Amino acid sequence: MGYTLVYTQVLEFFPYLIRGALISLQIAILAFFGGMFFGLIFATIRTFGNKLMNNLVIWYVTFFTNTPQLVQIYFLFFALPEFGILLSPFVAVLVGMTLNAAAYLCEIQRAGFLSIRQNELDAAKTLNFTLTQQVKYVILPHIMKVLFPPLSNHYIIMTLGTSMAAIFGVEELTGRAFNINSETFRSVEIFSLTALVYIVITFIATFLLALIGRYFFKAKMRIIQ
Amino acid sequence: MSQIEIKSLNAYYDKLHVLKDINLNVEKGEILSLIGPSGSGKSSLLKMLVGLLTPKSGEVTLNNNQVNYTNKTDLRKIREQIAIVFQQYNLFQNMNVLKNVCIAPTKIQKRNQKEVEDQAVSLLEKVGLKDKLKSYPDELSGGQQQRVAIARALCLNPEILLLDEVTSALDPELVQEVLDAIRILAAEGMTMLIVSHEMSFVKEVSSRVVFMDNGSIIEINEPKIIFENPKEKRTLDFVSKILKDK
Repeated sequence: MGYTLVYTQVLEFFPYLIRGALISLQIAILAFFGGMFFGLIFATIRTFGNKLMNNLVIWYVTFFTNTPQLVQIYFLFFALPEFGILLSPFVAVLVGMTLNAAAYLCEIQRAGFLSIRQNELDAAKTLNFTLTQQVKYVILPHIMKVLFPPLSNHYIIMTLGTSMAAIFGVEELTGRAFNINSETFRSVEIFSLTALVYIVITFIATFLLALIGRYFFKAKMRIIQ
Repeated sequence: MSQIEIKSLNAYYDKLHVLKDINLNVEKGEILSLIGPSGSGKSSLLKMLVGLLTPKSGEVTLNNNQVNYTNKTDLRKIREQIAIVFQQYNLFQNMNVLKNVCIAPTKIQKRNQKEVEDQAVSLLEKVGLKDKLKSYPDELSGGQQQRVAIARALCLNPEILLLDEVTSALDPELVQEVLDAIRILAAEGMTMLIVSHEMSFVKEVSSRVVFMDNGSIIEINEPKIIFENPKEKRTLDFVSKILKDK
């Protein structure tokens, strides 16, 4: 078993690989913020909505958190064309990840809503805070502190989850690694290098998020893991 | 003319009739204590006065002005004159001690930052917390948090202070430090309504004591009479039970 590691060949593809990483980040960021947006709407319905709307959201969340994300995206990509809806691989992955994230981020944000302390709001009312002032000084600082760590975690999970896009032919980081492998057959080198790029991406994100969380929202987050 | 006049007032939590035909006058500078069993309406009466429980009928007059509790301007006005301290302190957990005390005077009343901070520091000194200005509520003991809450209420320069069972969430050894803070205020002549289970304290500081039961006021009298020779049988039952337990 005398395998000799030769990185020179795959390193020629490094810029190509990095451009793929940018596509991975693009998917992760877009799907995360899309998921935050819909998740916020769903969480609001779960907290304040009527029974029918509430039940619809419960079914949505139950479905998306109890089926594999891969199956959800397969459905969008292969089943929707039967109904005349044709999505490009990139769009199918983006929509699938957004819908999935919306379910998880709904639950995370709902937990934040539930953690608002009524007695602090009572105090704020008797101190003559308007509703806007209650949100600005009491509700938002508290919610952000509680929510920032789990939201950051979910963002990291989503970043790694983007590798699923390779299956659908999206040329993001994993997809490009696959392409390079087909051309060079340097499997050990290319996939170890790809893993390293993922580690660097998530480390940078974890570091920045912990920095933001600690200094802006007083969240309890470790900067160095 | 009394500072607060409450006439035939009724209030409900959903369907529960918590304040029944309340009539009460409070004079300026008076220290009025409310006693009675749990669920008798003492705390509800205080919450009603600051507009956290809207009365269904009856009227409240503050310094001869009738208060409409469904009117925002009226609510703002009474909350400028009446401050409340809660049983659970209700401090803002995301703000340090100084910020808790200063936020309403600076951001809501729009008073001068420097002047408010000076006042806050001297109030915190008065309640014995000058070295805790930068601490957060979760770093303080219950007694310390409650004294911050008292300082926060006082920094609004209210005419009337409501104290809602301010010692009942505290360990016995912490009760005294809060009562000492209230004694200082009592000596300064601020109007206070105190809901308390500390009977010896009530007896010591009150000008009058109100006994409530099941949402109604049963008896209003001087502390000496309430505790030693009450006019109503229910007052006697309550007082003798409490004193026997001690």
